[in-house]
Amino acid sequence: MCSAVPDPNPVAAPDDILTVTGLKKHFGGVRALDGASFSLRRGEIHALVGENGAGKSTLIKILSGVFPHDAGQITLNGAPYRPASPHDAKASGLQVVHQEFNLLQHLSVAENISIEAMPRNRFGLLNRPEMNRRARVALDAIGLSDVDVRAPVSSLGIAHRQLVEIARALQSDSAILILDEPTATLTERETTRLFDIVTGIRDRGVTVVFVTHYLDEVFAICDRVTVFRSGETIITENIPDTTPQNIVRNMVGRELEAQMGAATAARIPGDVALSLKGLRVASDPNPAGVSLDLHYGEILGIAGLVGAGRTELLRGIVAADPVLSGTLECNGSAVHFKDPRDAIAASIAFVTEDRKDEGLILDMPIAANIALASMKDISRGGLLRFAREQQIAEEGGARLRLKCGSVRDPASSLSGGNQQKVVLAKWLARNPRILILDEPTRGIDVGAKAEIYAILRDLAAQGVALLIVSSELPELTNLSDRIMVMANHRIMGTVHRPDFTEEGILNLAYGQSDTSPIADLQIEGAR
Amino acid sequence: MASPTTATPKLAALRSLINNAGIGLALLFLIVIFSFSSEYFLTANNITNILTQITINLILAVGMTFVILIGGIDLSVGSVMAFAAVVAGKAITLPGFGDTELILLACVAGLGVGMICGLLNGVISAYWGLPSFIITLGMLNIARGAGLQVSNAETIYAFPLAFEEFGSMLIGGVPVVFIVALVMTLIAWFVLNRTVFGRLLYGIGNNEEAVRLAGHPVFWYKVIAFSISGLAAGFAAIIYMARLNIASPIAGIGFELNAIAAVIIGGTSLAGGRGSVIGTLLGAFIIGVLANGLILMGLSDFLRQMITGVVIIVAVILDHYRAKYSAS
Repeated sequence: MCSAVPDPNPVAAPDDILTVTGLKKHFGGVRALDGASFSLRRGEIHALVGENGAGKSTLIKILSGVFPHDAGQITLNGAPYRPASPHDAKASGLQVVHQEFNLLQHLSVAENISIEAMPRNRFGLLNRPEMNRRARVALDAIGLSDVDVRAPVSSLGIAHRQLVEIARALQSDSAILILDEPTATLTERETTRLFDIVTGIRDRGVTVVFVTHYLDEVFAICDRVTVFRSGETIITENIPDTTPQNIVRNMVGRELEAQMGAATAARIPGDVALSLKGLRVASDPNPAGVSLDLHYGEILGIAGLVGAGRTELLRGIVAADPVLSGTLECNGSAVHFKDPRDAIAASIAFVTEDRKDEGLILDMPIAANIALASMKDISRGGLLRFAREQQIAEEGGARLRLKCGSVRDPASSLSGGNQQKVVLAKWLARNPRILILDEPTRGIDVGAKAEIYAILRDLAAQGVALLIVSSELPELTNLSDRIMVMANHRIMGTVHRPDFTEEGILNLAYGQSDTSPIADLQIEGAR
Repeated sequence: MASPTTATPKLAALRSLINNAGIGLALLFLIVIFSFSSEYFLTANNITNILTQITINLILAVGMTFVILIGGIDLSVGSVMAFAAVVAGKAITLPGFGDTELILLACVAGLGVGMICGLLNGVISAYWGLPSFIITLGMLNIARGAGLQVSNAETIYAFPLAFEEFGSMLIGGVPVVFIVALVMTLIAWFVLNRTVFGRLLYGIGNNEEAVRLAGHPVFWYKVIAFSISGLAAGFAAIIYMARLNIASPIAGIGFELNAIAAVIIGGTSLAGGRGSVIGTLLGAFIIGVLANGLILMGLSDFLRQMITGVVIIVAVILDHYRAKYSAS
């Protein structure tokens, strides 16, 4: 059966434990959820999938009582459900195991499992034997009999910590267990073990909600899948009735052509500006590292899911974070950057993902921010030349059509789009030959986006080499000459402009490169 | 915005004036109250007294401002001052040199000791990214112990006459040592407002990562900031010796807290990135005037201490609201 949602009034089947109808939630002007409807059956494993920002996390936070919803209905066991707090949600039998661990590292497994309700003896003191006994029962229940309940959590591996969290969540007779990307940090063997345990839990009648980025996992253990896109639920399908390609198609939707600005005419790339050979950064589990060539006058996009290692790669290139191994070549000769200063000296500019934490000095004037990377140009003998600073700031602002009262106003007075222009202006003031951007238009409005796209295209036309990481696929397909797709710190493939399809790129990002019949891709050796 | 890093110096001066106006008004208010409560308060003699009394604290506080602006703290300045004084005292009482040579030697020794202590504070806390609170707490003990060790816990005295006279010299009723401290304050203002170094100190206090990614050697800037604080402690040691004509290994106990208080009352944020040495100057004045005025009113020293504590807390609460309003 393939029940197409949105259905305004899904008939509650008798074995439905939780039904969500027309759920809406917005933050300021952003609609995080815009009509989500689906239901959970007793004793099923139900996958929730969708691109970054499709609304899965918001939904989970509403269900677990982190914040309330604006409109729509949730019924749990036939009664309206509106948890006022996470505690409320737990009392109703709904438990979430979050992606980030919520364990207290230096306490024992047993203490962690009982943290919400420590057993006491008749003197009101901690009843340690009872606490250990409960923990033993909870661990045995999920087949984790090889873990000592007295061991500190810090002595356990990542997989076991995850399982301890699950044991803690399950000991209070939960009816619904939500796992938020439980396998993101697990190895294959650990994942298999987790799946065995999850299947066992399901067979005991618990409903498991499985949020994941990996479609093969969905097909390995889930019974049904609901696809989210732009805050809406698109469809709920039985796993045997669908295919990974089908799911990807539903995640992407049909609005592929709705893109801003004139699509880039084919550019003829120049010489190699930057060449990575097996570059491996500290957090990178892939020993082979990443290799790529970036040419002058081209825009190379890097697509991938959150956690695929894209930001880490960029930070490694400019030596913002240490590099473990591999080499970097600039204009054909090997370079070794010790810190960002060296990268800047090699005419590389790096626009970070987080402008508030890494890009701007919010309390300082716009002019000071624009001049921050050009101190030599605005000083003589260590003394600041304020007139020169103002001139550079005003020129840079005019070039990017920065809207501000005065360059002497603090950067915090600007809108997100104009703040991003200040960050760009800071780097363009140095006339970089290589420009690296991480999420260049995150959180800014459509108009400012189009302006920034125009600036970036213009730079490429002037021969600057651009490397852009973005989680918005339309942004990459719109700007790039080539798109490299990363998953799990590996390059899964490279797609050239004539072959751009969001489905093809997403299939690679979801690790579907081998089985993809619809993507007409040139795979550049997924190393 | 209290960060005087505006594009034109004229506007910067104007803004810092407005920002400091509140502290200036508080100071004026204190002066008016005390001039009514005690006839003696506004006499030339007493003003000379106040200026002499705040000199050491002002010097330490100006150095401290650099460290607090980058989000650090230096608890060691009182002890470092004593250590520097003892070493300078040893140098200035060496036999077989002329007075000028001895004074010069003492200055070099005192400033050198102070700067090395500050340098160590900076290198250790910046290299390992450790909280300067802990590192300088360690240095507080090291310097105190070193001072006692070097001096055998004895006070050193009998300095050259010219040196002792310098400490009590007046120009038009203003102590020369205060003028020296004031000149230091102005130099610090110039460094913080007109140089690349000063600009980047404010930047580091606001957003260290942004400054690092813009290619600046953040490590060295931090080391220099701590070195300046140590250097100021060495400077304070020389002034202290000239004024009191002794070098005592138990001098300066608790001075670091007065210096921090002056900086905070002056409106510099403990979180870093916001504040000015002009504020610190006013803060040092408020502490000095308060102490002097309350004693003239006949209050016990214990009550005086309590009131100073209240003023510190009130200043921080006011600053909290000021920061909030200027942000919106």
